[in-house]
Amino acid sequence: MLSKLAFRNMKRSARDYLIYLLTMTLVSALMYTFNSLLFQNDLKAYWNTEGMLEAMVALATIFIVLITAWLIAYMVRFMMEKRSAEFGIYLLLGMKKNTLAKLYLRENILLGILSLMTGMSFGILFQQILMAVLFSMLRMDYHLHIALHPGTILMTTLSYGACYLFALSRCRRKFKKMNIRDLMEAGRRNEEIKERHETIKQLLLPLSILFIFLFWTFFGSLATNGDTILFIIGLVVTIYLFYIGLSARIICYVRKGGKMIYQEQNLFLLRQFSSKVRTMQFTMGTLTALFTLTLMGSSFALMFSSWQNTLSDHKFPFDILLYSPDPADDFAKEIQFLEKSVSVQDAYPYRIYTDGDDQVNAWMLTHLTFWGTMYQNPDGSPDMTGIRQMLENESRYCTYDTYMGLSDYNHLRRMLGYDEITLSGKEYALQVKPRLEKEVQHIGDDLILAGADGSPSLSCGGIYAEPFSQDGHNGGDYIVIVPDRVLSRMYPYYSELALDIEGSAPLGLRDKLSELRYDKTNDLMFEGNDECPALKGNRCYGSDIIFVFNTVNEVKEDLRTSLASLIASLTIPLFYIGLVFLCAAVTVLSVQQLSDSAACRFRYDILSKLGLKEAEIHRLILKQLAAYYLCPALLAILISGKMMLFAGERFVMATGVPLSPGSFFLRSIALFFGIYLVYFAVTYISFCRNVTGGESRS
Amino acid sequence: MTSYIRVCDIEKYYGTGSHVTKAIDRLSFTVGKGEFTGIMGSSGSGKTTLLNLLATIDRVTSGHIYYENTDITALSEDALSEFRKQNLGFVFQEYNLLDTLTIEENITLALTLQGGTKKDIQKTCDRLLKLLHIEEIREKFPYQVSGGQKQRCACARALANDPVLLLADEPTGALDSFSSRTLLETFTDLNRSLGATILMVTHDAFSASYCSRILFLRDGKIFHELIRGEKPRRLFLQEILDVLSLTGGELSDAQ
Repeated sequence: MLSKLAFRNMKRSARDYLIYLLTMTLVSALMYTFNSLLFQNDLKAYWNTEGMLEAMVALATIFIVLITAWLIAYMVRFMMEKRSAEFGIYLLLGMKKNTLAKLYLRENILLGILSLMTGMSFGILFQQILMAVLFSMLRMDYHLHIALHPGTILMTTLSYGACYLFALSRCRRKFKKMNIRDLMEAGRRNEEIKERHETIKQLLLPLSILFIFLFWTFFGSLATNGDTILFIIGLVVTIYLFYIGLSARIICYVRKGGKMIYQEQNLFLLRQFSSKVRTMQFTMGTLTALFTLTLMGSSFALMFSSWQNTLSDHKFPFDILLYSPDPADDFAKEIQFLEKSVSVQDAYPYRIYTDGDDQVNAWMLTHLTFWGTMYQNPDGSPDMTGIRQMLENESRYCTYDTYMGLSDYNHLRRMLGYDEITLSGKEYALQVKPRLEKEVQHIGDDLILAGADGSPSLSCGGIYAEPFSQDGHNGGDYIVIVPDRVLSRMYPYYSELALDIEGSAPLGLRDKLSELRYDKTNDLMFEGNDECPALKGNRCYGSDIIFVFNTVNEVKEDLRTSLASLIASLTIPLFYIGLVFLCAAVTVLSVQQLSDSAACRFRYDILSKLGLKEAEIHRLILKQLAAYYLCPALLAILISGKMMLFAGERFVMATGVPLSPGSFFLRSIALFFGIYLVYFAVTYISFCRNVTGGESRS
Repeated sequence: MTSYIRVCDIEKYYGTGSHVTKAIDRLSFTVGKGEFTGIMGSSGSGKTTLLNLLATIDRVTSGHIYYENTDITALSEDALSEFRKQNLGFVFQEYNLLDTLTIEENITLALTLQGGTKKDIQKTCDRLLKLLHIEEIREKFPYQVSGGQKQRCACARALANDPVLLLADEPTGALDSFSSRTLLETFTDLNRSLGATILMVTHDAFSASYCSRILFLRDGKIFHELIRGEKPRRLFLQEILDVLSLTGGELSDAQ
């Protein structure tokens, strides 16, 4: 009997809380999809991240379990409150509290099993989509391959079960505390609106706005981590106080008889909104925090994925580029090997030179934003002792300035499809990373370099900023291009071999090259020959941050794959967390509104009797829901906006991605509102149906 | 007295197929301007259905209802809303006040829906609060005041649009005897001094005795009619009780 009752009640709950059921189905589908990456990753062979993706998905799962448990606990408590009168009747009929608790648990578990089963079947479909996306990120073809994996099913069931275990653990205790009279009365009790100290409470609104303003003004310039943490704590408190202040402000406005309340149905709307915010202020605060995290997560994910599109072309413009610390290397072994493995169109060995000086390095260290004032004296002049020390001990830059001959440079430009350049005998050119183009504009004002005869006579004849593999191959950050005859007074510093091949290199070529060149690159790295000091410190990787690829064997195809998998390891968990957080939060919003529609039906019924047309009532519902949905979303945008603009600026600066810092955030908002709108539309339609659908009979 | 409302041969059926219930059975009557009419009948006699039809919140199956020259059975939904807004006032047993609004705001909202300037609205609101003696509780929420006060607030709200007809569905149903009497005296007062036309549905003989005319309903038909004329209220009450006892009505209501 109990099972039958539980099953029937579950069916009713599934109907009454359809949005909740759909969200739980979506969550289990997402769980299945992302867990499948741990067990069914067809890309594992190419996935060069050494367990990073697995670790990130596992970490994300912890967050997902926690937030889903919160959602379930919230819904279990909520449904319990809504059904208190029914529970009262069960108790009145003689059902024991323990049995009642069992019944309710059974209903919820049935609901969970239903959504888990449906979710996993969708998950199989989602998994195929995710795999197709990942394959396309790696620019590979994917063929549908639908398969159930026991590991994925077990992991999904376990994490889903953990959510329920967390959520339902306190349920039995709640039933113990129940009292028949309270339960029966609960449904009939009027919502009591207590208005106390509103005049004082309303001050919280301007105060929280002021704090958010201060946050916008000072967040970027906070000096220490302590300050940042204090600001974040302040922000969390502000989110919660904002709603107390907002509700009090509206109440004061209505009480004062503000002009707006005498127009249309504003009075009803304002009161409705303020009383809802009042009773829900804590939940609203939590939802705002969740939205903020969602927006930030998806912005970061978008940042990385947009970067991924340009990164491999920017970082690895050459099909194959090999470094050799030996300035006399002719790469005969490598060319012979490569000719067997790929169809070589052009193999070009060349040298990088140095003049044994460090004036270009010093200029970079004192002028690039990345270095700030680290290598400047208090008066702004270069701190030469610090610079010398840095160049000798760290490998961001080579110990001495790096040069390339014009003919070599033009040959490489041709290989990459760029136009050739010309230099007069008294000019040098500077080739830098794309992101540094703006920062080196004035280098010509400061630097006059020595010509072929050693006298300072070369002035700057141009700056070029096309992608040119400048993470240690063609210099670090920069390389100076000089007329070939100037090279006669310089030392060969190290050697490079650039290859242009037909089609793309087979995956795994880089590993084979590493094996082949192990002795060459390992023995001589960083170790100069004492007789030839120029050989010292000829390996560097430039001033990039976030992704630094310090590799001697640059094979575009292999590196692009591992870069894509590395970025996917970051973006996938971020999207996963963002999606689940958003769905959980917006479900709470929707369920709150829909369960209220019973009380609202009565209110809208009165308004209809007062002469409001159906279209006007629909408009009123739209306004009411819109205010309720927009409020936490806008606050979240306001808060995450500052952080993301700041992070976006830093990101653009560090990576040189040709996008404006706000664009990631805007795209993340668009994504956010896409999902938000779906929930909003479903809620609006159901709300209208609940309120105005079906004739009421008295 | 000119006839203001004409109900012509109306019928109302509920349900479909084999489960059809006839709630109103070919009913016709008129209500004069400024009349205080009561409709009595036991449960299921169709009195609330009749009130809903007159209140335009339900539609007749056949027949016509005229308010002066307007046939409300021929109006569209939107036109009905407008008609309701302009002409009708409602008082219900369950008060039907908006719980999120204070007593004063409940009246203000009804006035705002009628349109008007802030100053006019405030002035009318003050007048109504004074008229129904609820000025003291204007800032309280419905849950903070007594049933009688809530019902007086509902009355004030019903008068906000200066209605041509005030419809009351068991207005004393949830009130104690003192509050009932106060409310009914208010109705009488509104009827006499403001000339308001009132139509009240009740199954309580005491409440009905305040009316000037009573229609008795059974199975959706009028089976009897009483007119108070110049009779004192106590005598009229006795007459009502007599009718109820003859028809097996709810005698206990008069005790």
